[in-house]
Amino acid sequence: MAGSEAGKGNGGFRIILLGDSTVGKSSLLRCYTEGSFIPAPCPTVGVEFYSKMMDLPPGIKVKLQLWDTAGQERFRCITRSFYRNAVGVLLVFDMTNRKSFEHITEWYHEVASIQLMEKVVFLLIGHKSDLKSDCKVSTEEAEGLAASLGMGFIETSAKNNTNVDLAFQTLTNTIYEALKNKEIDLQEGWDGVKVIHKKNCNPQKKKRKTQEKCLC
Amino acid sequence: MAVPSVLLLTDRNFTRKQNTRLEKQNDLGWKLFGKVPLKETSQKDPKRIHKEYEEKTGRAHKPISPKQNVRKNLDFEPLSTTALILEDRPANLPAKPAEEAQKHRQQYEEMVVQAKKRELKEAQRRKKQLEERCRLEENIGNAVLIWNNEILPNWETMCCSRKVRELWWQGIPPSVRGRVWSLAIGNELNITHELYDICLARAKEKWRSLSTGSSEVECEDAGFSAADKEASLELIKLDISRTFPNLCIFQQGGPYHDTLHSILGAYTCYRPDVGYVQGMSFIAAVLILNLDTADAFIAFSNLLNKPCQMAFFRVDHGLMLIYFAAFEVFFEENLPKLFAHFKKNNVTPDIYLIDWIFTLYSKSLPLDLACRIWDVFCRDGEEFLFRTALGILKLYEDILTKMDFIHIAQFLTKLPEDLPSEEFFTSIAAIQMQSRNKKWAQVLVALQKDNREVERGSPSLKH
Repeated sequence: MAGSEAGKGNGGFRIILLGDSTVGKSSLLRCYTEGSFIPAPCPTVGVEFYSKMMDLPPGIKVKLQLWDTAGQERFRCITRSFYRNAVGVLLVFDMTNRKSFEHITEWYHEVASIQLMEKVVFLLIGHKSDLKSDCKVSTEEAEGLAASLGMGFIETSAKNNTNVDLAFQTLTNTIYEALKNKEIDLQEGWDGVKVIHKKNCNPQKKKRKTQEKCLC
Repeated sequence: MAVPSVLLLTDRNFTRKQNTRLEKQNDLGWKLFGKVPLKETSQKDPKRIHKEYEEKTGRAHKPISPKQNVRKNLDFEPLSTTALILEDRPANLPAKPAEEAQKHRQQYEEMVVQAKKRELKEAQRRKKQLEERCRLEENIGNAVLIWNNEILPNWETMCCSRKVRELWWQGIPPSVRGRVWSLAIGNELNITHELYDICLARAKEKWRSLSTGSSEVECEDAGFSAADKEASLELIKLDISRTFPNLCIFQQGGPYHDTLHSILGAYTCYRPDVGYVQGMSFIAAVLILNLDTADAFIAFSNLLNKPCQMAFFRVDHGLMLIYFAAFEVFFEENLPKLFAHFKKNNVTPDIYLIDWIFTLYSKSLPLDLACRIWDVFCRDGEEFLFRTALGILKLYEDILTKMDFIHIAQFLTKLPEDLPSEEFFTSIAAIQMQSRNKKWAQVLVALQKDNREVERGSPSLKH
């Protein structure tokens, strides 16, 4: 499998979107991957998937594996098992919905308590920025929260297609930089990042090695 | 020089227009073949054809019943027409030699014969399709009679008979579907129409107190914060317009908006411990499309009370994992190759099963197919939901085995819209819900027992 992927890109990042119900996670993803906007899409039950190739500056292609999750609080214990394998997290709130902003810290701690990795890259998203007149959260306030949690903040709108590409690019670049600086630890059996080495790609050999390890 | 000046037109709309225009001015010296009649109508007299032509173009204003219309279509199909034109050389050029002209005429005739053959074949295909549709309609008509006159009046004695089960598998006719579902789901909870009215009245009271901002929300539902309930009621409102958005009947101002709102609201008052969970709106919507409001509520409450649905809607994660594990037992048994492929790619059942089970396929399959799944689900119970999942995997086994994780995940969470229904049901039928002589329920019980023992602390049983 890895061999066939090598031709297409140099790796893959698994990114998950979290946030309250109806903040616009699915719309954000649909806007980013398909360039379309539907006013009231079906609620996500469980998890849905999107994917897109992204070019990183030095001629490297990355396949983004995008996980869209159900926002209702009741589903948290189900979606929890999905966090573990993500390297990037977009924490999304609705700028016109104060509560969804207040819940961001909860979402952050949810991931922090589950994620076993050294580092997950977060980005805070204030969505529905087109509805300026209804805004219940100021940019300064959101930036303040982002800074206190150690992440960036971007205001987006899927309706006007504002900053949507920028959000994903920012997150992907940050992940890439962190990988380059060895801030993210690559572990075997973890699906958050898939690195495909162009020259020596022999997954079968790798497998045998791990099997041998098990036998010891 | 040997190219005959022959023009072959097959575009349907274009030729249709040409056809009508040319009928008026017949003096162009063009030869035109159109609307190749079917065999049995080849001896139709011109008057009749003309009459039919008039009917088709709407010149005759006689009302046509739908049945007549179907029959007429069988007799005389508006086929794609083929115009074939053989022209002589323009007058300012020297005439063709007789030999060449002869050759061209011959080529021309061959082409005409070929075109006619093609048209005839196409006509036969269409006729077959129409006949198939008529046959289907007739079958449904007959089935309605059988359901209404034989089965429903003798439900208790007949519902489990082989004949009824077979008819059931074919799909319940829409006109009796609601009644059959109601009977099959039953009313173990003994919910009356009055209880529905009471629950609805309470829900309305809560909505009112929420909208006026009064904090005197009754505290009878201990253990659930007012904030959670409020969020739940708020979410119902938002989700209603997101339920089957393409149908445009549940949206604000749509005919079923209030009905859906009422049922979901009443349910949160009837079962505050379950409350509203996303996915429910789809189930309620499908029931509303087939039953009156109060009966839909009764069916809804009883349906959600079934063990599998309770486990999922209360999001009892431990029990859900047992259901997934049971599913995997049958997955491996039925589709070992695909099972191994999924394992290799870390495709776990929660990725695709959650949506399918929560919404009973109503969100992921076309509605008519989802209803047929519901038909048999009402007959066979929860195991059919998992059998359906395996049917989908079997149907697409060949493509899925060639995909990697993300493509499998994307494919299964967004199934093709043109899922072929007959093949699909054949796939489901081919799934054996028997593993080492154990049936679904037995496997489930065994897994639950194992799980309890693991919890009690015997590590040897783990995995």
